[in-house]
Amino acid sequence: MDCVTTLKILVIGESGVGKSSIILAFTTGDYNSSFPATIGVDYKCKVMEVNGLKVKLGIWDTAGQERYRTLTNSFYRDAHGAILVYDVSEPKTLQKLNEWVDELQVYSTKKNIVCLVVGNKIDKDRAVSREAGQAFAQKHRMLFIESSAKTQEGINLAFEELVQKIIETPGLWESTGSSSNIRVTSEERSQQESSCYDYTCSI
Amino acid sequence: MDDVLDEVVSSEDLEKFEKVFHEQLHQGNVTHKAQFEYAWCLVRSKYATDIRKGILLLKELFNSHAEGKRDYLFYLAIGNARIKEYNKALHYIKRFLEIEPTNQQVLALERQINKRMETEGLVGMAVAGGAVLALGGLVGLGIALASRK
Repeated sequence: MDCVTTLKILVIGESGVGKSSIILAFTTGDYNSSFPATIGVDYKCKVMEVNGLKVKLGIWDTAGQERYRTLTNSFYRDAHGAILVYDVSEPKTLQKLNEWVDELQVYSTKKNIVCLVVGNKIDKDRAVSREAGQAFAQKHRMLFIESSAKTQEGINLAFEELVQKIIETPGLWESTGSSSNIRVTSEERSQQESSCYDYTCSI
Repeated sequence: MDDVLDEVVSSEDLEKFEKVFHEQLHQGNVTHKAQFEYAWCLVRSKYATDIRKGILLLKELFNSHAEGKRDYLFYLAIGNARIKEYNKALHYIKRFLEIEPTNQQVLALERQINKRMETEGLVGMAVAGGAVLALGGLVGLGIALASRK
């Protein structure tokens, strides 16, 4: 069965909070304790199923280092979802997330982009309470979850929640036919969607 | 898009960083930052001439600014791969892996380049096969014309 759409997911946050580790844990289930700093921007694909629909995720992993800050903001364009990561053992990384929220507001082009705040490294000694992370997310009207890329805890759930919310947001995404450059009309789209459901039923 | 080699810079970005670079060049003081940002856009351009220019700028940075070596090596590999200079690209990857042998991002790039070399090798063979067929057709036509006389 073909994917109904491709969603652009952006992962941002300070250097060293575990953005690449979260993506590696989600796409392969692996963990690497000594992850070098990401160079520029990395890209990973993964197909996942939400509400019986197959969705292709194009995940953009941005470098958290300061030297890339001016370069990576063009990748915010057309993103359907953003994951904002901080490290629960480093309070500064949550404070700094404010700057990333500002960047997102300036550079993201989709008005109703779905954002998820992730407090990573819960396998370590905690210096940020769950409540503090939750309050931050609430203040910015974002989803919230805590995770550990090391133990896999919360990783799949984070992506499931984000994608679920994107799919449920009307007007945020468009279904893709065989040629992705063609915009489908709403009539065509509903036909396509129903044919997908038929396919699922027939399995 | 399947991997980082498919990613193309937007014309706005290219123009923006080109402007900064040229302004600094005009004042006779180009910073590493401006040169890298411009080169980073150039190697992701869809035009080979831009990519080659980006490679030159990156080489210059590589020889003058030790701190950013891993970034320069990585984008030298990307730029060369995008103009199908695969052997040069793999050479930069090898140098990178000498410093960071387990870097996932670079190992993934190496796999992507090898994959491209493989598929394009097959395409090359298909073109050669097509030429043989066309040649066969011409010979056949020649024989047909000759036999008509």
